Amino acid sequence: MKDHQHSNDRPAWIDQASQVLDDSIRDLDAATLSRLNRARQAALAQRHAHTAPAWLLPAGFASACVLLLAVAAWQPHRRGETQQPVPVAAAADTVADEGDSEENSAEFYQNLEFYAWLDAQNKGDGG
Amino acid sequence: MAEIAGTMAGSGLEFARRVDAVSTNQRALDQFLRGVERRALRMAELACGNRDDALDIVQDTMCAFVRNYAAKTETDWPPLFHRVLDSRLNDFHRRRTVRSRWLAVFERKSADDDELDPVEQAQDLQDPGPLLRLAGSEAGKALDAALKELPLRQRQAFLLRMWEGFDVATTARAMQCSEGSVKTHLSRALAALRRALEDHQ
Repeated sequence: MKDHQHSNDRPAWIDQASQVLDDSIRDLDAATLSRLNRARQAALAQRHAHTAPAWLLPAGFASACVLLLAVAAWQPHRRGETQQPVPVAAAADTVADEGDSEENSAEFYQNLEFYAWLDAQNKGDGG
Repeated sequence: MAEIAGTMAGSGLEFARRVDAVSTNQRALDQFLRGVERRALRMAELACGNRDDALDIVQDTMCAFVRNYAAKTETDWPPLFHRVLDSRLNDFHRRRTVRSRWLAVFERKSADDDELDPVEQAQDLQDPGPLLRLAGSEAGKALDAALKELPLRQRQAFLLRMWEGFDVATTARAMQCSEGSVKTHLSRALAALRRALEDHQ
């Protein structure tokens, strides 16, 4: 970036001017240097405040994982609590109902051809 | 479970890596600002003629630069910093112009619109120049006065090209203008400075 140190094609008085400008910033008073330092620190502190949300991202992710673990560990207990013991008689009824239902369904499929014929007969009578 | 534990460990590593990157970036930023703050102060002081105002402008520039461009690559920082500074100086100049109008003490400087003779602008590379004949603090005062007399854009072109050492493209990027404009501003600035310093003698 700084190419003027290597340039030979510019007038000498410009190099002299650069030197004069460099000299003018070399010995600044303490109050000015302190103020510059405070300005720099203020700018960097602002940067620090701006980067905080980026730090929160992995922390938030870790918290979410912990929460997930807690929920996973809690779920089996909950399932155990909510499953009420089913009375034996009710259970037997349920099994019997399920058995009837399966039986009816099988009977229906076995007689499917008969029902189709019956439907055709009804249509023929109607026509 | 093992997957979740692995993800959490990865997240922790990523977190540590980010903290480290932010800390490195912070150090680089601090070094960069330390490197440019004095020159920035000098430029601001030449533009507004007052150290307190110049310090305010530099602080404002640093804050805006860090807020908007800290995440850019370090090689982009110098032109971006000077772009922010140039913008702040333009704002200051505009405000002062408006205030001056209201106070009716505005002095119109028409030097920027002057048509300059190309022969007059041509530099004689063998000539030691006016500053070499001025000694020590005299040279500083003469240059200071001559720079303060320059229009803002010409002064910025001179300081960025000749003092900061930017090339034409980088200067154009910092000043948010075309490379041709930079060349024009610089050419006029050099001619005006030379003339002013000769007159000072």
